[in-house]
Amino acid sequence: MDRNMKILVVDDFSTMRRIIKNLLKDLGFTNIEEADDGNTALPKLKQGNFDFLVTDWNMPGMTGIDLLRAVRRDEKLKNLPVLMVTAEAKREQIIRAAKEGVNGYIVKPFNGATLKTKIDKIFERVG
Amino acid sequence: MTEEKAARLVDAKALVKAIEQDDIQGEEALIEKLTANQTASVFNEVGRITREVHDTLMNFACDERLSLLAEEEMPDARDRLRYVITLSEQAANRTLNVIDEATPMAEKITDRSRRLKDELAKITQAERENPRLLSVTKTMDRYLDSTIKTGEQVKKQLTEIMMAQEFQDLSGQLLMRVIELLEQIEDKLINLLKITAPVRQKGSKTEPQQPNLDRGIGPQGYSNEKKKDVMESQDDVDDLLDSLGF
Repeated sequence: MDRNMKILVVDDFSTMRRIIKNLLKDLGFTNIEEADDGNTALPKLKQGNFDFLVTDWNMPGMTGIDLLRAVRRDEKLKNLPVLMVTAEAKREQIIRAAKEGVNGYIVKPFNGATLKTKIDKIFERVG
Repeated sequence: MTEEKAARLVDAKALVKAIEQDDIQGEEALIEKLTANQTASVFNEVGRITREVHDTLMNFACDERLSLLAEEEMPDARDRLRYVITLSEQAANRTLNVIDEATPMAEKITDRSRRLKDELAKITQAERENPRLLSVTKTMDRYLDSTIKTGEQVKKQLTEIMMAQEFQDLSGQLLMRVIELLEQIEDKLINLLKITAPVRQKGSKTEPQQPNLDRGIGPQGYSNEKKKDVMESQDDVDDLLDSLGF
């Protein structure tokens, strides 16, 4: 796995963005950018050669699930690995995210070890 | 037998007779007469309900407490909740700032101790004929080992403190939902007050009511009631994803 890969962290709470960013830094990833909802994330993704997207679900403006749908519909972005880190824990929601093509799903509250395991698994599969 | 019942029986018998004699006009008149009572009771009931609704609405409209609630207290409650979100965000950020400063310090302690330990090992190797020096380097080595361990542990604890700040996101999301709910109720209440406005009298404002503590004000925390379709842990989520072929 390339530790220099470019990662976009999307969450409407700055606290959570900081936490995820710090955890990613701890895992050796340093090339990280932030966005506070789908509407600000999508233009960044379209311009920026990102290798990995970590997104929350429940955000004002464009939600994480809509962002996931937009990414999968976009010719250039459709293969981007997407990890959801969210407090949304309903069975139906997880199934929906899976159907929309999410690569990993973490329920808050979570910890660094879970984040590492999921990222390892995603990139093991993506290759 | 009541008088009314007797009268109905007479009418019913007359109806049978009218049908037998093919007296269509008589039949229609008797049917109308027989059902008239029922129709009347439906009208009576509707009338009673209408009066009740009217009285309730009048009482509602005259309750100054409600307009106070809709126009002042609910927006105020929303502001307070927003303020709680702001405060908890500030607190979380303060904590994260300290962690951002302290983590590299802990890492530095660990790194420097490691480097020093390596240097010391080289000296120990070169000076292995010098027993007095060796006893000193041995003590220093043990000290450096414990410093490395402490540095690592401090970093781990700092990460733990950082993860605890996650509460801000979760509690913030819950509060936002409550704020949304308050907004909806407020809108509906204001609409209702507008409809009933013409009858409202200008009266003195009532003082906000204090909650009756003797009666209890209910649990103050978020309900922990377990919900069937909600995943309890990351393991549950993983199991579900596994079952979906993930």
